[in-house]
Amino acid sequence: MLLASLQDVTFGYGDAPCLERANIEVHSGEFIAVTGPNGASKSTLLKLALQLLTPWQGKVTLSQANSEGNKLLVAYVPQQIAAFNSGFPSQVTEFVRSGLYAQSGNWLRKLNSQAKKAADEAMQSMGIWELRNRRIGELSGGQKQRICIARALAMSPDLFVLDEPTTGMDKESRMSFYRLMRDQIDKLGKTVVIVTHNLTEMNDMLDRIITLERREEGGWKCCTTTSCSGHFAPVESLH
Amino acid sequence: MLHYDFMQRAFCAGGIIALIASALGVYLLLRRQALMADMLSHVSLAGVAAGTYFRINPSITGFLVAIIGAIAVEYVRKAYKTYSELSVAIIMVGGLSVSVILMTMNKTINKSFSSYLFGSVVAVNKLELVIMMTAALIAGLFLFLLRKPLYILSFDEESARSSGIPVQWISLGFSIITGMIVAAAMPIVGVLLVSSLIILPAALSVRIAPSFASAILVSMGIGLTGTFTGLTVSYELSTPPGGTIAFILLLFLVTGISVKKMLAFGSKNTNTKQMSVRSVAPQRVTDIE
Repeated sequence: MLLASLQDVTFGYGDAPCLERANIEVHSGEFIAVTGPNGASKSTLLKLALQLLTPWQGKVTLSQANSEGNKLLVAYVPQQIAAFNSGFPSQVTEFVRSGLYAQSGNWLRKLNSQAKKAADEAMQSMGIWELRNRRIGELSGGQKQRICIARALAMSPDLFVLDEPTTGMDKESRMSFYRLMRDQIDKLGKTVVIVTHNLTEMNDMLDRIITLERREEGGWKCCTTTSCSGHFAPVESLH
Repeated sequence: MLHYDFMQRAFCAGGIIALIASALGVYLLLRRQALMADMLSHVSLAGVAAGTYFRINPSITGFLVAIIGAIAVEYVRKAYKTYSELSVAIIMVGGLSVSVILMTMNKTINKSFSSYLFGSVVAVNKLELVIMMTAALIAGLFLFLLRKPLYILSFDEESARSSGIPVQWISLGFSIITGMIVAAAMPIVGVLLVSSLIILPAALSVRIAPSFASAILVSMGIGLTGTFTGLTVSYELSTPPGGTIAFILLLFLVTGISVKKMLAFGSKNTNTKQMSVRSVAPQRVTDIE
């Protein structure tokens, strides 16, 4: 099932476009990595796909429903979001449980024991159980990233959109996180789109890589590889 | 002191506004809109000036103009996404300039203006008390019912939007509520100090509270204590209530932060001496449920 697509999308922040004629498709059950050098508009690409930005040209489609016909739930973890909100006066448990508020009906009613259990499991999966009573501001950068991911996990979304989620994590935590995301796809049918610079570490777990490459005329274009088993496959341009 | 009607009204109005304004302040602070209260008070002043000039009840016009200003700031904020504080400055300049022009056009209104600028216990009449109670009731319901989406929105608007929360509508509603509370608080603390009632309790609570839910409650407690103490001191020493309340709240902030720093310094020293790994003390999980 097609969850999100960009068709010939062009976008820029000033007068000149930073992303030109981008074409991507995100299907359910895929593990997709978005990569490219710094400033290649990787985060912009995610924001366009989530309709947080309006393209200058082209068409963006984001499915409203999941494969079961229910409202599509999206968990978006922006780049270094925890670092920007380091003083946020919240307890870790409180913060992780807030992922469940987006689910329908949870605005007004109290979270039931099943929902609280889901938040507890998310904290255990991310190895932050022992931090559950701490304030966010007291945590290290890597720990803050992990609580943001735990919040996304607690939400149990259909689509994870993660912008450099492993920043500040050690290698062991990163590998464990990649395996966790792969399990979410294989066992629960979720979809994951992740911006990363660590392709070599996660290459054999991915289904597809979207690479942003510099155009000769300036700006960036989307290129993609179809399969990612073994080594980093050569980039095949869509244009 | 409390056998005077005007003091009863002042304590009643002050208590209600302190509770709501302090809770609102936590959200404003976290959304990096701390100066919004200050800006709306200046915009509201333009409404007061217009009301006096056109011979309409200035409390009502001040209230309405504050709400219009709050809506306007949401739209200007969109135009300057990266520099959201710029929207505050732009609307504040607009409000102040209109106030000054209207005040100059009608020289007889300068006297009554001092009660709006600095706040006065006597200035709280029955109509203002009714406006305050209505504004506080609406704001209280808004903040309580939407506490969960407001929590997510305060942390990050983009992730809130992507998870399906109607950020635009909640943001607009929040701005209108802020306008209402600012206009309602003006007779107590005055235009120049209205932001003190909203921001100072929140500024201390976000530093000392262990969770978001407790940050709201601690802020409300600080706001209420500061307002009651300020009103009492103001009565006993015949000082202006607005300035006294603001000064007491500032004292609370300085004392609170100093005590926290001393405690942190003491605990750091103890830990260094013992050179032991600190275990996590079991705490009660609190959240905004």
